[in-house]
Amino acid sequence: MKPARFEYFCPRTVDEAVDLLARYGDDGKVLAGGQSLVPLMNMRLARPAVIIDINRIDGLGDLRERNGILRFGALTRQRAAERSPVVAERCPLLRDALRLVGHAQIRNRGTLGGSIAHADPAAELTAILSALDGEVTARSARGTRTIAAADLFVTYLTTALDPRELIVEIRIPALSPGAGWSWMEIARRHGDFALAGVGVVLVIRRGTIAEARIALTGVGPTPVRAGAAERLLVGHAPSDTLWTEAAEAVRAAVTPDGDIHASAEYRKHVAGVLTQRALREALSRTKEAA
Amino acid sequence: MRLEGTNLLPASVETVWKTINDPEALRRCTPGLKELKEIGPDTYQATLTIGIAAVKGTYAGTLAITDKRAPTHYKISLDGSGGAGFMKGEGTVDLEPQGDGTTLKWVGDLQIGGLIAGVGQRMLGGVGKMLIGQFFKCLEQHLGGGT
Amino acid sequence: MTTRYIGARIPRNEDPSLLRGQGCFVDDLQLPGMVHAAVLRSPHAHARIDRIDVRRARASPGILDVITHADLDDLGAPLPKLIPHVSLTHHKTQQALASAVVRHVGEPVAFVVADTRYAAEDALDLIDVTYAPLPAAVDLETAARADAPRVHDDMDSNVCAHYTQRVGDAERARAQARHRFAERLVMDRGAAAPMETRGVVAAWAPRTGSLEIWDSTQAPIPIRNGLAAMFHLPQQSVRVTAPDVGGGFGPKVMMYYPEEILVPFASRRLGRPVKWIEDRREHFVATNQEREQIHDAEIALDEHGHIVAIRTVFLYDAGAYCPYGLIVPIVAGTTLPGPYRIPNYHCEFKAVFTNKTIVSPYRGAGRPHGVFVMERLLDRAARELAMDRAEIRRRNLIQPDQFPYEVGLIYQDNAPMRYDSGNYPQCLRRAVDSIGYAGWTAQQAAHRAAGRYVGLGVACYVEGTGIGPYEGCRVTVEPSGHVFVATGVGTQGQGHMTVFAQIAADALGVRPSDVTVRTGDTAAFGWGTGTFASRAAVVAGTAVSLAARAVGEKTRLVAATLLEARPDEIELEAGTVFVRGVPARALSLGEVAAAANPLRFAMPPEWEGPGLEATRYFAPPSATFSNGVHACIVEVDPDTGALEILRYVVVHDCGRVLNPMILEGQIHGGVAQGLGGAFWEKLAYDPQGQPLATTFMDYLLPTAVEVPSLEVEHEETPSPSNPLGVKGAGEAGVIPVPAVVAQAIEDALRPFGIHITEMPLSPDRVRQLVAEARRQPCD
Repeated sequence: MKPARFEYFCPRTVDEAVDLLARYGDDGKVLAGGQSLVPLMNMRLARPAVIIDINRIDGLGDLRERNGILRFGALTRQRAAERSPVVAERCPLLRDALRLVGHAQIRNRGTLGGSIAHADPAAELTAILSALDGEVTARSARGTRTIAAADLFVTYLTTALDPRELIVEIRIPALSPGAGWSWMEIARRHGDFALAGVGVVLVIRRGTIAEARIALTGVGPTPVRAGAAERLLVGHAPSDTLWTEAAEAVRAAVTPDGDIHASAEYRKHVAGVLTQRALREALSRTKEAA
Repeated sequence: MRLEGTNLLPASVETVWKTINDPEALRRCTPGLKELKEIGPDTYQATLTIGIAAVKGTYAGTLAITDKRAPTHYKISLDGSGGAGFMKGEGTVDLEPQGDGTTLKWVGDLQIGGLIAGVGQRMLGGVGKMLIGQFFKCLEQHLGGGT
Repeated sequence: MTTRYIGARIPRNEDPSLLRGQGCFVDDLQLPGMVHAAVLRSPHAHARIDRIDVRRARASPGILDVITHADLDDLGAPLPKLIPHVSLTHHKTQQALASAVVRHVGEPVAFVVADTRYAAEDALDLIDVTYAPLPAAVDLETAARADAPRVHDDMDSNVCAHYTQRVGDAERARAQARHRFAERLVMDRGAAAPMETRGVVAAWAPRTGSLEIWDSTQAPIPIRNGLAAMFHLPQQSVRVTAPDVGGGFGPKVMMYYPEEILVPFASRRLGRPVKWIEDRREHFVATNQEREQIHDAEIALDEHGHIVAIRTVFLYDAGAYCPYGLIVPIVAGTTLPGPYRIPNYHCEFKAVFTNKTIVSPYRGAGRPHGVFVMERLLDRAARELAMDRAEIRRRNLIQPDQFPYEVGLIYQDNAPMRYDSGNYPQCLRRAVDSIGYAGWTAQQAAHRAAGRYVGLGVACYVEGTGIGPYEGCRVTVEPSGHVFVATGVGTQGQGHMTVFAQIAADALGVRPSDVTVRTGDTAAFGWGTGTFASRAAVVAGTAVSLAARAVGEKTRLVAATLLEARPDEIELEAGTVFVRGVPARALSLGEVAAAANPLRFAMPPEWEGPGLEATRYFAPPSATFSNGVHACIVEVDPDTGALEILRYVVVHDCGRVLNPMILEGQIHGGVAQGLGGAFWEKLAYDPQGQPLATTFMDYLLPTAVEVPSLEVEHEETPSPSNPLGVKGAGEAGVIPVPAVVAQAIEDALRPFGIHITEMPLSPDRVRQLVAEARRQPCD
């Protein structure tokens, strides 16, 4: 398992990086944490002619909160975000999902930008970005643009990013005050790709659901935002019957693939089970908003 | 893996039949096709670089159209091998008039072997279906339709 | 002889260097001028090779050689048949490189040698092979049928062996029995997955005409002997060393893997050392696998729940070739009766070729299958007869006063199976107590009331261990007083460096840290068969004991001369040799060793030669039988099929325990592998014979999160078959695990009435079983 030959560049600034991407875009790959890319290269499933290592670009790994938005540099290590007190306080849904991304050793190197750009159909971070209506900023030699989560994920391992673009920042809104949250997933083993995963946010006002967010991973080529299920919930009082209806709506909204670990039918079924359980748990965490 | 689908194409059966036999259309719409050289009647030498995102393999082999029953039925087979393994696809295509358009029913058997099968089983089925879907979407556009 | 160290929980001699990263595994070897190899492997499960064109590869920069079958001469012949059997009518073996046909994905087709492994892999892409794919026989049952595609086209079918063992008259007994219950039990393919993959380094020395080989193997001596024959070299000119080996578990005892021929061949051809290290993806297609069997079994009982007859007819998947013969199905069939009295038994199997990786024993070697069948049959009978599942077992156990117990079968060593000792009811009693069986019904009811589905399982087994043919040992005391033990069984983590040192230490009155054990090097000791079948402690351990005691006797003899006493008055203790009762008349062990090798003057004839050294062999006439009982408590989520193992108890009898810590390590590892085979590990193949799980992303080994803490208890019924009283323990942990997990999951989901007849399970499968049961009302 030795990779094919490649040329290696190590830019020190974002400008240098996007210049290299402009030159090599189609033949090049960005190396961030390497936790997905390097195995693909070692197995020769991917043979990029050029590797652009962005790990030494200063300032790309910063984490800030401003005006209720968490701003992560693309190079923010997953483990750093997982353990950040800001994330714990303002977006515990993200923290809970991060805990299930691979294993700690992988999260020590893996980055938020890398995971999102890689767009694995069973990734946690892509579902979180979808659930919370996050967005990414991408830079290329031609300029800067913002891509909303709803527009970002195209299909398996494919985002709307051009090969010459580099994610520089990820923005995730903090949870609303008093919001309850839950991340639940089923995997064959701790740390494995989710067979199905659900992230839920609930805001309760005067005893009824004011805001509901449900996003799933592992149930299709991209993360699924279960809009129909969300609309079923808003304006109603929480109840087990309501959760069951939401679970059915989620099942209707997903068309998972089967593989040797779990059939499509299982994933669809479990997506509903997890939705119910996550809604229950999210409710238990809500604090009535003013 | 066995895949199948139905597509509604905005053209008559005759037009669709001509298109799916036209090497130009095949050249344009087959995902990842780099070379298509006729080496005999309805037989072509093909080179494809196919995959998803960074995961790509190059396959060299043959594309052949057989069992032609104009203008409604044929069998298309594609097989190739390369460093990443081999692929072998066989499909039957049936056309039926549907109003002003044509219903195209395809049933295919796709075998992927080698490296990619042993590592990519999680996504192979989905990606395979997606690539075949791309083919028909392209055909649809070629025929003047398109969403 | 005092027993200070045998039985002691002393830390391992191996560990200080291993834990500091100072072990030497085959990939650590760097030899001057060494070059690197890679193997081109078939991507097809079954295909004709029409053409191999290596010209582009040969011309590639950094490529030193590209070898195909045409280059091998007589080394291209089919590799040896290791264990023939009269029923094995088609003992097919593979070639070192395929020539006309490839029969499984991963079969070697060409061998490339280059300056670096990177360059060698680059060259693999440049080898053009034209394959004509052929239909593949993949599914075991389909492959067994007369109309299946043939794996070997000179055969009428894919059945290479058909063998039946009988005790009594099972046909008549079952016909007359009050109750008969049949089960169809399916176990799927799995792999040993050692942490270290395979690897070979070979260095041909043209000046001496000798070959030195380092091989991650469990059987260096037979490898040496076979390679010497194949390369037409004297055995003394070939040295095979198994350095530190990171796990073997069975698949590393194989004579021969193609690479074990190709690497030395390339080295001789090039005149340079050659290294080949298997990468993990290769390992999943190129290293032997196991575990696929389908049993149609039946249990017949009388009105009191006593077993009257057992019958099983099964298919065994041999893979594309069967060099290792029929060991696995024979072991499965002979392990099935277990600790129970079975007056009538019919065991029949067909070994079937398929276009999949070759099968050879993996820890358990068929025992897990035998136990799975027997225990599932008993569970079925218990349910049908409304009997308690511990009680039905109790009622059928062989009693302690019934030893030696003739089972009536021929074991894998070709000797009649005779259980030598054991206390089966005691082990069951202890396991049942430890797991809390008595109060379980009430506890389970409380769990259910709280909405939890928790279940308990208990399963028993007997394991044949310590088989021949033999092992040997040479013990030497040097003038420094340090003791050297050399033996033929290699070590792959079993703690031999410690356990053998404990045995020698006790015999010679030294500490285990004063003993250095050397194994796995044909130059250090050249007679032996290898480490497999839970035999090293019994067979090599006994040889160590015999040799060490002989050295002790010689020490007394020599010391008697020096100390002017009688040999029977001499004691060995704490590294000194002294006259009993007169500690002042003493010498150090080293001084005696020096004195035993005089430079001048006549040597006493009774010494029979110089030095404190002795070589002894132990050839056990038959196996010695360990046994055990596992019990576990699991929780299952019926909506997701998720499984959690809450408690796991092992009661284990391997006779005299040499080192409890090492034994527990063996059991822990075995249980972990057993759990893997019960719920996680499955080698999936697609209908064309393409393996779908060739990385650890898809071949799921249970991790520290999935494997619970184990509660291990020992029972000791010493073996009468060897002077140490030991029985084998290497495979015990894995054997009853699938059976006990199946029972526990069924118990947890009893309200749904699910019925488990397959291994491994998965969350999807468990949920499916629940869903199916929900659609039909249960009893």
